[in-house]
Formats: sequence, C-alpha cells, structure tokens
Amino acid sequence: MSTSTTESVTVPDPPADSRVGRFVWNLRYHPKRELWFAWWVMVIFYQLYGVLFFFVTRVQPPPSPAWDTPTVVGWFDDHSLGVRAGFGVVFLVAGMCAPMNALLAYSMRRMSVSRLFAYSYLIIYSLAAVPGMLVMAIAMTVGALRPDRDPEMIHWLYDFAFLSFSGTMGVFMIGSLVYLVAVLLDKNRVFPKWYGYLSLCNALTEVVVAPAWIFHRGAFAWNGAIAWWINMVVFVLYTGVFIVLLRKLIQREDFGTGPLPEAVR
Amino acid sequence: MTNLADSQPRLEEKSAKFVPGQPDMWMFVLFETLLFTGYFSVYLVSRTQNEQLYLQSQADLDLRIGVFNTIALLLSSWAIARCVKASREGAYRSALINALLTVSFGLVFLTSKVLEWVKEIHMGNTFTSNEFFQHYYFLTSIHCIHVLIGFIVLGVAVYQLWSPARRSQQLVETCATYWHTVDFLWVLIFALLYVVR
Repeated sequence: MSTSTTESVTVPDPPADSRVGRFVWNLRYHPKRELWFAWWVMVIFYQLYGVLFFFVTRVQPPPSPAWDTPTVVGWFDDHSLGVRAGFGVVFLVAGMCAPMNALLAYSMRRMSVSRLFAYSYLIIYSLAAVPGMLVMAIAMTVGALRPDRDPEMIHWLYDFAFLSFSGTMGVFMIGSLVYLVAVLLDKNRVFPKWYGYLSLCNALTEVVVAPAWIFHRGAFAWNGAIAWWINMVVFVLYTGVFIVLLRKLIQREDFGTGPLPEAVR
Repeated sequence: MTNLADSQPRLEEKSAKFVPGQPDMWMFVLFETLLFTGYFSVYLVSRTQNEQLYLQSQADLDLRIGVFNTIALLLSSWAIARCVKASREGAYRSALINALLTVSFGLVFLTSKVLEWVKEIHMGNTFTSNEFFQHYYFLTSIHCIHVLIGFIVLGVAVYQLWSPARRSQQLVETCATYWHTVDFLWVLIFALLYVVR
C-alpha cells in the first residue's frame, strides 16, 4: 500500500458552490481519483460492450451454429456495415479492459490473502479479452470485409469467431473460482461471503458451455437456452453485482491493510 | 469519502441469527435454486415438444438405480443433520463420525452414478444419442460436480471438527447447508428424469 496519500500536503478545501469547481478539485486532489476512474471505465466499458455486441454488430445473442453456408453468407451481407463499424469501435475501446481488470485485481490485493490471487486473476482476465473479444472481432470483420469471398471461407470464419468467443468460458470459470477462494479466505471483509458463492454459481454456469463444441442445435449449442441464455443471465447479474460491490469498496477504502471500515451512511 | 485515517475495525460478531450457518450460504441456495429452475424449465419445455421420444428414452433408465441414488443421498443428508446436532451439543467425536458417514454415503452415490452412466453407454445411450439423454447427462453431471465440490465442503467441516482449536459451529452449519442443497437438487432431478412421465 502506498504511504504517499498520508503525507501532509496542503490540499485546498473543495469549492462548495460550483459543480465544475468540485469536479476539477476531485480531479486534482481526490485521494481515490484513480479508483473512481477505473470504476467509471468499467461501467462505460460494459455499457459499450452491451450496445456494440447486442445492437450494432448483432453477434449477441449468437446466430445459429446449424445454419448452412448460404444462410451464413446472407447473414454477413445483412450485417456487414454493423459488424465492421461495431468492431471498429471494439478495437478502439478494447484497451479499457486494462484499468477495469486492474480494479478487480485491486479488490483482491486489498484482501488479507496472498498476492497470487490478484496476479492470477489479472492474467486470466487479460487473456480472456484476446479470444473473447479481439479474435472474434477480427474473424467477423474479415468475414464482413469482402462479401465476394469464397462462401465456404466465410462460413469457416463464422464458426471460428463464435467458437473463439465460447472458448473463453474455461478462463472465466477459473477466474470466478479464484475470486471465490479469495473472498472466502479474506478477513478484511472487502466483499461479502455471498459474493464468493455467487462466483461459484457463475463458475458452474461456465462449465455448461462446454457442450457447445459438440452440438449444432438444441439447448447446448452455442446459441442454446442453457449454454447461452441462462449463462448470459447469470453473467450479467454477476457483473452487475461486482460493479456495485466495487463501488462500495472504493467508498470504504481507507488505504490501510487491515479490515475495511463499514460504509458510512 | 476523504476520511482515510480511521478504519475502526469492528470485529464483534453479529448476534442476530436467523438461519443456521452463514446467511450468505442461503443466498447460494437461492442462486442455485433459481439456476436449476432455469435448467428444469428448459427440460420441461423441450419435453413437451417431443414427448414420445422422452417417454421412450426414459424407459431405458432403471428406476431402481434412481431410487438407490436418492436413498444414498437422503442418508447422507440425515448423517450431516446428525453431525450438526452433535456438534451443537459439543459431542465432537460423534459429529466427526457423522461427517465421515456423510462422505461415505456421498461416495456411494457417486459410484452408483458412474456405474449407471457406464450401463447406459453400453446400452448405446450417450450424450449425443438424443435430446432426452443430452438433458440426462447434463443434469446428472452438473449435479455430480456439485457433489465433488461437496466433498471439499465436507472436508472443511471435518477439518473444523478435528481440532479443539477450531470447531466453528457456524462453518459446520454452513457446510451442512451446502450438502443439503446437493441432496435437494438431486431429489428434483430424480423426479424429473426418472419419475415424471
């Protein structure tokens, strides 16, 4: 933990009257400005992720793995602009993962557990962004870029993109288990224990994606009711929960190493 | 938010006790119940779309094995309940024996489940055979993963009961709550896969 925050530097009082003044004061002097920055990046990133994947590129909810080649080519024709424009923005904002993952790892560093937890989590989630976002985005963009390409090749890219996306699930599973163990072992009360159990729940729904490698249709295909829909509901809930809990963590943070104080209401 | 100095570690235990064990574990019970409700709904909806296939495939399952599985898990739940009771009364030796008995019944369940899978595979009913067996293998294996995690959880209970230096009643009850959930989910899976026609 840094000790620089406890140094006695003369900090002017925040201006009470002007909102702009308060904003500038927060930007210059707020002791938790980096944490709040990372938190806002996280909120904005997930908003963007939702809009780009669900509404612009339309790759979520995923189209069917059972489609034949002409249908897949037709899908690319229909969504060409959305895919290229949407993933263009995805490439632009992909780096937002860094402060976001850093904040998640920070929460674990604030716990009374080994640093290994935070390091493992950081590595795992940073790696997940490659197949889960970038490889998928590249494959889909390549498919959409030249509609006159060999249809078989476009179908190949389609499979490659969605399998790459589904392939991150094992990584998320281990990430959730790391969080689970860290929260249960923690004595600093950074997160409530039920969040640890929710992580277990999330990890178990990631296991369920594995059959997507076997089936083309039905509940266990990559767009299936169990492999995708239920999994996504749990993941969205889990993400919402950790965003709220991280906000509370920042509010309670005292930059010490012992138990976190309770939130002041 | 700028108050950095006083962390005031308040470590006193909350005395208000509404449920056995950590209330947090009951949140897990809720999450899991909702999640499995989702899985069961998908199963029931797909069943209505192809009822004949489901009935035919169900006939390949041996109800006796299902009943045996259920009895094994119910006995394990009974043993863990006795473990909690003994631990509350301070009879730690008896609690330990009952916790180990729970593990044994859990192992009986797991072994019989694996033998049933082997039998079904020999009969030609695999994960990819048809929609019913997709659900059958999915539900039984996701449940078995819960059982395997349950062994870790029971290990925590045994570890707590082993030494007089530990013996946290709350943790023992939390572990028992998890194990009861595993049992409770199995009873529902058993009813849906083996009994509902």
